[in-house]
Amino acid sequence: MALLLPRGADNFKDAFQLFDRTPTSEMKITYAQCGDLIRALGQNPTNTEIMYVLGKPKAEDMNTKMLDFDQFLPIHQHICKAKDRGTFEDFVEGLRVFDKEGNGTVMGAELRHVLATLGEKMREDEVEQLMQNQEDANGCINYEAFVKYIMSEVENANLIKFLYSQAEGCCLWELLLTYLYV
Amino acid sequence: MGCGLRKSEVQQKKCDRVSLSVPAATAIRAALLIQRWYRQYVARLEIRRRCTWNIFQSIEYAGQQDQIKLYSFFGFLMDHFTPASSERNLISHIFRENEICRDVEWERYFCYKSIDVPDSYTGPHLTFPMTFCGVSKLVEAFKHKQQLHARYVLQILGETWRLLRILPNISHLSSCHTKEITICGDLHGQLEDLLLIFYKNGLPSTEKPYVFNGDFVDRGKNSLEILLILFGFLLVYPNDVHLNRGNHEDHIVNLRYGFTKEVLGKYRVHGKKILKLLQKIFSWLPLATVIDHKVLIAHGGISDTTDLNVIARVDRHKYASTLRPPKMTKLAVNGSNSQTTNRRNGDAGVPVDFRRRVRSLTHHSSTPPQGLPRRSLHNLHTSHQHMNWSVDDELKKRRRLAGFDQSYGERKKPDSDSDPECEEGTETYEHEWEQMVDLLWSDPMPQNGCIPNEVRGGGCYWGPDVTEEVLGRHNLQLLIRSHECKQDGYEFCHNRRVLTIFSASNYYEVGSNRGAYIRMGADLVPHFVQYQASRTCRELTLRQSVGWTERSALQALRRQLFVHKSDLISAFREFDPNNTGIISPSHWASATESVLKLGLPWRVLRPQLVSSTKNGMVDYQEWMKELSITEPKLEISDTSLLETMYKNHSNLETIFRIIDTDHSGLISYEEFRQTWKLLSSHLKTEISDDVIANLAQSIDFNKDGSIDINEFMEAFRLVDLSAHS
Repeated sequence: MALLLPRGADNFKDAFQLFDRTPTSEMKITYAQCGDLIRALGQNPTNTEIMYVLGKPKAEDMNTKMLDFDQFLPIHQHICKAKDRGTFEDFVEGLRVFDKEGNGTVMGAELRHVLATLGEKMREDEVEQLMQNQEDANGCINYEAFVKYIMSEVENANLIKFLYSQAEGCCLWELLLTYLYV
Repeated sequence: MGCGLRKSEVQQKKCDRVSLSVPAATAIRAALLIQRWYRQYVARLEIRRRCTWNIFQSIEYAGQQDQIKLYSFFGFLMDHFTPASSERNLISHIFRENEICRDVEWERYFCYKSIDVPDSYTGPHLTFPMTFCGVSKLVEAFKHKQQLHARYVLQILGETWRLLRILPNISHLSSCHTKEITICGDLHGQLEDLLLIFYKNGLPSTEKPYVFNGDFVDRGKNSLEILLILFGFLLVYPNDVHLNRGNHEDHIVNLRYGFTKEVLGKYRVHGKKILKLLQKIFSWLPLATVIDHKVLIAHGGISDTTDLNVIARVDRHKYASTLRPPKMTKLAVNGSNSQTTNRRNGDAGVPVDFRRRVRSLTHHSSTPPQGLPRRSLHNLHTSHQHMNWSVDDELKKRRRLAGFDQSYGERKKPDSDSDPECEEGTETYEHEWEQMVDLLWSDPMPQNGCIPNEVRGGGCYWGPDVTEEVLGRHNLQLLIRSHECKQDGYEFCHNRRVLTIFSASNYYEVGSNRGAYIRMGADLVPHFVQYQASRTCRELTLRQSVGWTERSALQALRRQLFVHKSDLISAFREFDPNNTGIISPSHWASATESVLKLGLPWRVLRPQLVSSTKNGMVDYQEWMKELSITEPKLEISDTSLLETMYKNHSNLETIFRIIDTDHSGLISYEEFRQTWKLLSSHLKTEISDDVIANLAQSIDFNKDGSIDINEFMEAFRLVDLSAHS
């Protein structure tokens, strides 16, 4: 859904501040932090998409070039407008691809291999972190449970439950911004 | 590998030998989907972690600022009046520069020989000179929670003091192909971490040189044990064990952050002597280490004026506490090096040096520089402007409040005033002191430049350009420093030219962060080993550890909110003129920040702190009731006094300890009264004698009318009674 982001929204700035590491609080973030902030705000772009909206910066620019709040907003909006974000079902479908025996499980080893070598490769420690405590004694993962686990940061958080119950009174803005704290 | 293999067999093969059984395009799409979601998951966890980290750091640094404010206040009092000889000066002893005792006399004072070790003592016995076996025995003993007898403590410390006096300010090491140098960061009294490092890496020896980069003490409960172990190894391997001084190797800082208390608690009879000897040892600790003339190791960092040649020549032991420069004269104020005031922009200068700031207020305009840090000491800034307008009046008022009742006649000029060389001498003094403070207190920042470190109250923030310049000037390639807690135990910045290493795991809370140490060979490439000391044996997943730390941070924050209750209510009422008891979340956030001044993202935190909301608005009266979290163990009817006590818990304790000159842990009623006077003049509030008398009465005195500091502080420790999970 498209978001209308009023200029100078204090709440949004609050979140920006969390990534703002400048001791003088200049309210600027680096290019490198942009992707993480967008993700924290509830989107899940690929790294390529992020590089694209940033104007395909050079590697050395990522940690030196800065964005302020006003520059960040249109970038964020662009990402929000992109289609095909992927739902729970898409995610499960994606994993089902590797379910050779069709029994609801995939092999941990194969999944690790895929994540580390294909697409936007993950590092070994990232894969480790993702798979931590997910494999059973045979090295298999029940992928529906796995997906629920990844997404449980969203679904089970008290915050979200609370927000849905308050949805009528809460303005849309607050609702969206409180995703930050999920 | 085909479909015929069973899953368990495949599991045994290495990951990278597994080949795909689906079309590449589908696999790539699937991979992308999972990766995207994973990265979002991680980003969300990260923002939670940062939020939590932010809370802890803000509270920690606000505490440090608080201490420095307090100490500066004492400094101000000290500098602006002279006590009559008959008047006992409560706080002068910590500033005493006139220690005429020579080292020989000190040695006699610290002599351990008169202390006998009773037969009943079950702890380790040490023989001197120290040997590797001796220190290993000591490590084992501490592992089994034994306590070393005071005699041996004084003996080790005495030997250490003697050794440190002949060590240079900057140690130079050479790397070598056959052995790696191990570099450790802050330990902060966490013995488990040191033991873990020794377990993983081996004990220090000629084959295994170590550098320990400061902050060995405070906060953790085993600061003294860590010191004794480190000193023990230093004595056995003086060429292979190197200790750098940290900002916590400072008796003033120790008063507040727990080390003084630890020593006095463990050594009731000889604690005071031990502390005094440690004060000397700390001032004699080397300041930095350089490996192969290429890698600089110092606790805090650098500034744009850092000059290792100056640092190498400094008389480092003159600076017992880096919180305050040695006593300077009135002359020095006017003759002071303008270079130093201009380097740091604006009036929001280093709050530690009173004179410099008072002078700069008259010279520069009083508009603050653009982008004044969120966490700058606004209070301190304005209070000094005030003082500048009518210093004498303010002085009289404060002294009256503090209970110093001699009239303020001519100011007695300190001796060095008449010395014509003094002017230049004190300039050098100040410049040297600045170099040391920068080395021990500074933090790196992402932007170019060099600005005062307002958050800590000492040192500066330095940028990548300063790193390049300073390293270039000295022909160095890497700066290794500590001083800041890092999630993974280490972190690079400034194009990998600056490396932070932090060795105290679980620093803020169980699971908050890992500790790490560096192993460096002749190639000077750092390799990291990370660890986490765990009291519970199970490994927490990242999400679990974020959750733990988060809960703890929120509790700490609730405590802060509680102690500021009445200020908060006043602030809320300003947004609620009709007294409805309800305000908007935005107003709630602004009001809370204006009172607490922690610079936290309150809107983001609100859902975790406030459950009483109606239609998206905050019912602040209900919320304040919810926040009640403690019952004091003593009956105090005066609620504002109570609140003052809770709010200034640490300040109160610091003042108590300073006043307790013989470190007995007990203070008299009169001292108690004067403590309150001091505190109230520092806070610029009035606390009447009656109130204090009532307070004293409600405490159980011994017959001799003395108050046990620990008992008293314990009675007012905030206990979170709320059942927040």
